[in-house]
Amino acid sequence: MSQLRLLKPNLYTSPDEKGDIQLMGGRCSCGYCFFPMQHYGCEQCGAKGDELKAVPLTGKGELVSSAVVHKHADERRQTPFVVGSVRLTDGPVVRTLLDVDTDVRLAPGTELTAVLVDVEGKESETFQDLRFRPSRLVTGGGA
Amino acid sequence: MPSILRDLKPVYVVGVGFHRYQYLSETSYVELGLTAVRQALADANIEWPAVESAYVAKALLPMAPGRPMLRHLGSHGLPIAHVENASASGSTAFRHACYEVAAGLTDVSLAVGVDKPAKVLRGESLTGIPHLANDAIVPFTHFALLADEYANKYGIDLDDVALVALKNHSNAAKNPNAQRQKERTLEEIINGTQISGSFTSLQCTPVGEGAAAVIVASEDGIKQLGIDASRAIRVTASAACSQRLYENAASFDAELTEETTRLALQQAGCDAADLDLVELHDAFTIEELEYVERMGLCEPGQAIFALKEGQFNIGGRCAVSASGGLIGMGHPIGPTGIGQVGEITRQLRNEAGERQQPSAKKGLAHMVGVGAVCYVHILEK
Repeated sequence: MSQLRLLKPNLYTSPDEKGDIQLMGGRCSCGYCFFPMQHYGCEQCGAKGDELKAVPLTGKGELVSSAVVHKHADERRQTPFVVGSVRLTDGPVVRTLLDVDTDVRLAPGTELTAVLVDVEGKESETFQDLRFRPSRLVTGGGA
Repeated sequence: MPSILRDLKPVYVVGVGFHRYQYLSETSYVELGLTAVRQALADANIEWPAVESAYVAKALLPMAPGRPMLRHLGSHGLPIAHVENASASGSTAFRHACYEVAAGLTDVSLAVGVDKPAKVLRGESLTGIPHLANDAIVPFTHFALLADEYANKYGIDLDDVALVALKNHSNAAKNPNAQRQKERTLEEIINGTQISGSFTSLQCTPVGEGAAAVIVASEDGIKQLGIDASRAIRVTASAACSQRLYENAASFDAELTEETTRLALQQAGCDAADLDLVELHDAFTIEELEYVERMGLCEPGQAIFALKEGQFNIGGRCAVSASGGLIGMGHPIGPTGIGQVGEITRQLRNEAGERQQPSAKKGLAHMVGVGAVCYVHILEK
């Protein structure tokens, strides 16, 4: 596989040999799991330093809610697009872009899988950015 | 030993003033703010030198706009503090003005909110912690996601959520200080410009400019200045909380609202059922439904039905956003929380004109601010 250029390499990985993408989260010694990884301190107990460990989170989860965005403040972002709240299998809820048609209404609880899609950078270069897609529509591993 | 407002000296709202909330104009913020403060002074029937401290709420104006505005009332050297707390800036300024009077440090203090629309960075964008898609999820989309979740959870029609806007536009049409003063039909609201999820532009607050001012005083202040005590409205609770970690992380606004309202009702020694009116942070329609439920004004999932029955209309069991709320009256940010207190004060004095909630005795003002923080005040006749 050719080297991918990830748009946000500090948030997610390239697909592994099975095609799975992982999110770069963290876990505190108190047990609190969070996304993304940060070193400032645990939001649950306040612990810092070595108490906070980077842990890969599985790029799977289920849909909490979704919305089609019709108008957006930043005109560079083309509308409409679809966003969702996703509860990751590891616990944290993330807000993210969904890779689904705008006329598809997803039911809450729909199983979702992280995928990479091509996006254009500021100077028209191509990057890969993370989206969530219904697992049943993900082919080539991971689903 | 922690104290609550009621343990301290009684505090009363004695003066209320506004500059109409409106779309961005050439009017200077100084003109906006002075209009509100002078109206509040006239309402209290006191002179400016009687005001011993000023809290200036603003979130969008640049650093330290307070004295360049207030000096035009006469520079008598009063302490001035600026308060920024996002949407809750005005509520926070009001709380601190109340506490200064309640602590006996002053007999008369001012809370004034003034703002003009401007692009400002959020602190959270500078934390260095990246997000997957925060640039794609602005506040109206955050609430559009919550609307979708609410509709799925309770099996309601998203078009029914627009009934909140129908009521609030209708209330705002009777409010000369409202930014939007036009009755709207449900059809107009639902078929308006699509924004995000089920929201159309008439289901979202229009952020504009304006000002609101409230003067608070102690019993000594009222006696010494000869203020009409029959028009003084007591502040019986002031509660504030910030976000915790919640099982449903996305519902932090509602969780915060529940906790802060519970604390305020405990302080005032009353139940949600005792409230005659509520002004709440309805920047987006769904918020009103979630908050009235979390406040205890109706059971979870029942807000649409209570709304349809007219329970939250002026003249209903508890008038919600009689001012028109953030959707109808507007949300200039710094003034908003103070404007809520102004509306409740006028209602409890029976001076709200066409918007009067009959026999109103107790009112609650609620704001959430990004961060997130929540402020709730209760006022009583």
